[in-house]
Amino acid sequence: MNAKTKRIAVLSALAALSALLSSCGDVEPKSTGSPPAMRRLTNDQYRNIIADVFGPQIVVAGQADPLLRTDGLLAVGARSARITPSGFEKFYGLARSISQLVVNEDNRDHLIPCQPASAKGADDACAQQFIAKVGRLLYRRPLLPGELDTAMKSAGLAAQTTGNFYRGLSVALSGMMTTPQFLFVVDETEPDPDQRGHIRLTAYAKASRLSFLLWNTTPHEALLTAAEKGLLHTTEGLSAQVDAMMASPRFEAGVRAFLDDFLRFDQFETLEKDSVIYPAFTVKVVEDAREQVLRTAVDHLVDRQRDYRDLFTTRQTFISGALARIYRVPTTKPSGNAWVPYEFAPDDPRVGLLTQVGFAALASHPGRSSPTLRGRAIREALLCQKVPDPPGNVDFSLFEAADSNNKTARERLTAHRTAPACAGCHKLTDPIGLGLENLDGVGQLRATENGAMIDASGDLDGITFNDAAGLGKAMRENPATTSCLVDRLTAYALGRSATAGQIVFLDYLKATFVKNGYRLPDLMRRIATSEALYAVSAPEVDVKPVQSAAAAVATGAALQEVSP
Amino acid sequence: MTAIHFRILRGVTKIVTVSGITLCAIGLMSSAIAASPQSLTLGFVVRDWFTEVYNSKFIDECPEGLATSNDEIWWRGLSKVDRARLTDNGLIQNLNRMPTAMRRGPEGENVCLNPTVVKDPPMRVVEGKYSFGANLDENVDGQPTANTCAHNNFTHPDGTTGIDNQMYRLIGCVYGWRRGGLPELNAHEGRGTSGLGMILIEVTRVTDPRNSPDVTVTFYRSVDQFALDGAGRPLPFSSYNIDTANGKQRYGDSLKGSIKDGVLTTARGDVRLPFYGNYNFLHPAIRDMGLKLEIAADGSTAKGTVSGYYDLDEFLYYVGGMVGHTSTGDNCPAMYVAGYQLADGYPDPATGQCTHLSSSFSIGAYAAFVIHPEQNAANTGTDARVDAGLKKP
Repeated sequence: MNAKTKRIAVLSALAALSALLSSCGDVEPKSTGSPPAMRRLTNDQYRNIIADVFGPQIVVAGQADPLLRTDGLLAVGARSARITPSGFEKFYGLARSISQLVVNEDNRDHLIPCQPASAKGADDACAQQFIAKVGRLLYRRPLLPGELDTAMKSAGLAAQTTGNFYRGLSVALSGMMTTPQFLFVVDETEPDPDQRGHIRLTAYAKASRLSFLLWNTTPHEALLTAAEKGLLHTTEGLSAQVDAMMASPRFEAGVRAFLDDFLRFDQFETLEKDSVIYPAFTVKVVEDAREQVLRTAVDHLVDRQRDYRDLFTTRQTFISGALARIYRVPTTKPSGNAWVPYEFAPDDPRVGLLTQVGFAALASHPGRSSPTLRGRAIREALLCQKVPDPPGNVDFSLFEAADSNNKTARERLTAHRTAPACAGCHKLTDPIGLGLENLDGVGQLRATENGAMIDASGDLDGITFNDAAGLGKAMRENPATTSCLVDRLTAYALGRSATAGQIVFLDYLKATFVKNGYRLPDLMRRIATSEALYAVSAPEVDVKPVQSAAAAVATGAALQEVSP
Repeated sequence: MTAIHFRILRGVTKIVTVSGITLCAIGLMSSAIAASPQSLTLGFVVRDWFTEVYNSKFIDECPEGLATSNDEIWWRGLSKVDRARLTDNGLIQNLNRMPTAMRRGPEGENVCLNPTVVKDPPMRVVEGKYSFGANLDENVDGQPTANTCAHNNFTHPDGTTGIDNQMYRLIGCVYGWRRGGLPELNAHEGRGTSGLGMILIEVTRVTDPRNSPDVTVTFYRSVDQFALDGAGRPLPFSSYNIDTANGKQRYGDSLKGSIKDGVLTTARGDVRLPFYGNYNFLHPAIRDMGLKLEIAADGSTAKGTVSGYYDLDEFLYYVGGMVGHTSTGDNCPAMYVAGYQLADGYPDPATGQCTHLSSSFSIGAYAAFVIHPEQNAANTGTDARVDAGLKKP
């Protein structure tokens, strides 16, 4: 072997070693599962399920009680959600109106798979066809014998009492839609045949976890069939389903649902601005501001498969007519719901998500901007850092006083920070938020405030900047930006913040996220196909197997509080 | 000065901040912009359009009282029996009996559509000294010129003499046309909610939004409705597409002008404008039209006047077609006669009879993006994802 050959051999060996080490990094580490839990459906999930099972013509007129955001996510709050008596009334009202729509004369022919022998009484055979078919989609698994029997009895009794087969079905359907099996996504478990003494999620529970992560709705027929065949317990079978779901246009709905939760966009539902100060900030603007961020993010992350960090520096977005007025840019579609692609010029101060109306308006007061709220939103939502609440005895007169010497927010906040009790937290938020001061309380560009030029300089964790574009770059380069996304997405998928036993899994995800260019779909695929997503440990409380739920229905038990 | 540039579609858009004043400017794909990349474009959509009427406190301008309405003439001509029969003993009000009152021609003709079939007493017109408006014929004595007929001039309330406003002289004593009258307010309301008759003003070749010595002002019609705030006011900086036919923009007459200290003033020229009011569509060609527009410091609004010679036949057609609003004091036959007596502009070469009324209108406008058809064609609402082949249309 000559020197050249030796060198090639050494290089080949190094390359092989490198590939080996690299592939080692792709191996998911073992992590401890979470105890089985139940997660209440979100309002969006509820609507999606109804649309998927019955069609978009079945309108969900109302919504359930809001969930409590926990550890930065409503999805985590759903795990500890409780249904109060008044909350149950809302679910009952929804179920009643939906079930009546399903069986009315306009819909029954295509939603009920059979014709009753007589519409004026019970027909067990036809009722069973409908209940079994619909129940499988609503409960996200086939009905257990006891569940089917209970629904059949309800349908039969109601049909006999009212002399109307369809009213019987309606009663049975509304009953099913007020059970825990429907309103909660249940981590149903079974003994793990591969590990004696351990439990695992049932294939149907896996299907639910997967479907709500990727599509934010109930498992579709193909996924349930795959579960039925046990395919979701195999690596290949699971991957095939994940690939198919991520290739579907419905994957966008899953990404949107996560981003909406991650960015705390539920706050848009209560967002109001002073219409005297901001007359252009209409209800339509609120709706479109939320949509713009989501549309931009989906286009960037999913359609174009771009680096997540670039969301903070991208100039590409979409605008509607209502938003064009806020941005003061022309659009060929000034009215209606039309959106057009739009790219801000290279020297435009608007750069990235933080300068979009959706972020700027949401993290502001009704009548003015707020560097503090914006800084806090960035810290808490995007960097996963906790900013303490202000003490109850804050003297806002220092900040609010009409003082001609304090024309800009920077000057007012400087005065405010003279109070020692305030200074600590404001140091965390204000230097970030001040970078967005060229955007007023609804995100309109401005150069001055009260006649004084705005200084939009600031710093983020030691990186100084002069304007919003600089803040965007600082966000892009901050390690917490990407780390936070991984943490939140994992918690969103698991329905809880990572436990100590899952830290290694998080580290693995963060490493692969970096390695794969910060591509969100790749991250979602890693999570969806991971063992960690489906791993369960022994319950912290005595959770009975699935039969216990059936028994609860059979005995007409009320919804029970569930806590992990 | 901070310059902030935007790119949209294939055009170029700029927002220029001047000493804290933000003004919108759109650069289009025109050769003018290509030849002069530094020029800016201002756009406005006209919301308010009111005929200028000078109302004194005690109606001194109408010393013999207000003009007699069609209803009054009809009423006077009825016997007591017919009054009771045709008005349900007086219970049917002016507006509701108007269709009957208008058909008072000898053969039952509608006198607004056939104003010469009856001979009514002369219409009372303005005899006062003052009027809003402009000196269109550039003289102060009202003597005829090549393009005008003899007339009496007014003095502007600010003391300017030689004001020509025969439109005001004609309608100033008709109570429905006086300030706050129904025809004007109804037309204003209709334009605000229908999106009809909307005028776009585009100012090109602007070098400085507050001071530009040589600009071009072009008038278009919009096909988009006003975007309104919660109080019903138009929202500034909305986009409006130009009306087109067969792919080409309609209207589009231009005037030269200048901007000084934020006031846009044009030279005079013939301009055809869209108009909608009281269920009538007009497109009057206003001759020798001039625009004076005071642009607010923040660039979001503007107010001013349009003056020029208004086609009398077009105006009479408008009044005759107002339907319900003739109950507000108009009397078409008398106005027809008075109109031709007062017409002071553009004599018919054959007869010497003037065919236009000097007139003046106050306008209010909001900053707007004027979208040209080529811009719209450049972007037909496609999605970048579709263009990139990432998504099915």
